[in-house]
Amino acid sequence: MPQDMPPVGGYGPVQYKRNLPASGFRPGTWLIAMGVVMTYGFYKLGVGIKEQNELAREKMWSRIHLIPLLQAEEDRDLVRRHLADQAREKELLGENFKVYNSDRYVRPTYAVTPGNTTK
Amino acid sequence: MAARKPVFNQQVLYDTTPLPDSIPAVKEVGATSAPLLSASFFIGARCRPYNDDYMQCKTENPGKGEFECLKEGRRVTRCAASVIDDINKSCLEQFRTHWQCLDNNNHQLWQCRKAEWKLSQCVFDNLKLEKTIPDAPKDQIPVHLRTKQIYAHYPILRDRGQPSLGKSIDPPSAQAQAPAS
Repeated sequence: MPQDMPPVGGYGPVQYKRNLPASGFRPGTWLIAMGVVMTYGFYKLGVGIKEQNELAREKMWSRIHLIPLLQAEEDRDLVRRHLADQAREKELLGENFKVYNSDRYVRPTYAVTPGNTTK
Repeated sequence: MAARKPVFNQQVLYDTTPLPDSIPAVKEVGATSAPLLSASFFIGARCRPYNDDYMQCKTENPGKGEFECLKEGRRVTRCAASVIDDINKSCLEQFRTHWQCLDNNNHQLWQCRKAEWKLSQCVFDNLKLEKTIPDAPKDQIPVHLRTKQIYAHYPILRDRGQPSLGKSIDPPSAQAQAPAS
């Protein structure tokens, strides 16, 4: 019995690949597009950060110009209260005790409150 | 709720004893934060020497500056009060517009550039004080003169009939020189 042989000229090609068209752009195009978008985004980020820095500088200097004014007012108030406290102490105790072992001014932690107020 | 009345309230912490007569009295500025912020750069322009004096005195008297620097402090307060008084006298309308804008916009200076430019112009015309931000980079437009404030909620629109704004507006001193030359 003769053996089965392939047909003369061989078998026809077998289609094993899917025949679908590649959709969209080439990968290289996508890569470049992503690069462009990212570069633009980082550029805008840089612009924003620089503007923020300048705005912060403006805010800081507006405060720097005001600090002496506010501090002077606060200091006057502290001096006024301190002198009033000292006078009160002198009147009640007869002398001013040196409470702290230094000449620095110490902001009072406690305030003397009157026992009964009239208003 | 506790039945006990609160002992430490603000009312009893008042101490109305005035300063002794040996220390000259000075009227406090009495402006709130928005007018102070609005006027801060003009205060800085006029009072920088007094401010620096005061801060130097405070640095040189650590722990005692409250008492040693009263004189410098009075000068600082008087100078700042004079600036606010002058602005109130000559530019009240623009001043008010600007600080009310600041009050309504969370004290964000970049939301109120238009009002600020009008105030700057008026203050420069009348008081010859100009807003400059020290240490700003020289190669950039100063941030308070840019017509595009990228963090502002709304773009800055030109007034009706005004030519388009361009990238920046001129500082008031440059505008004053331009017609003469």
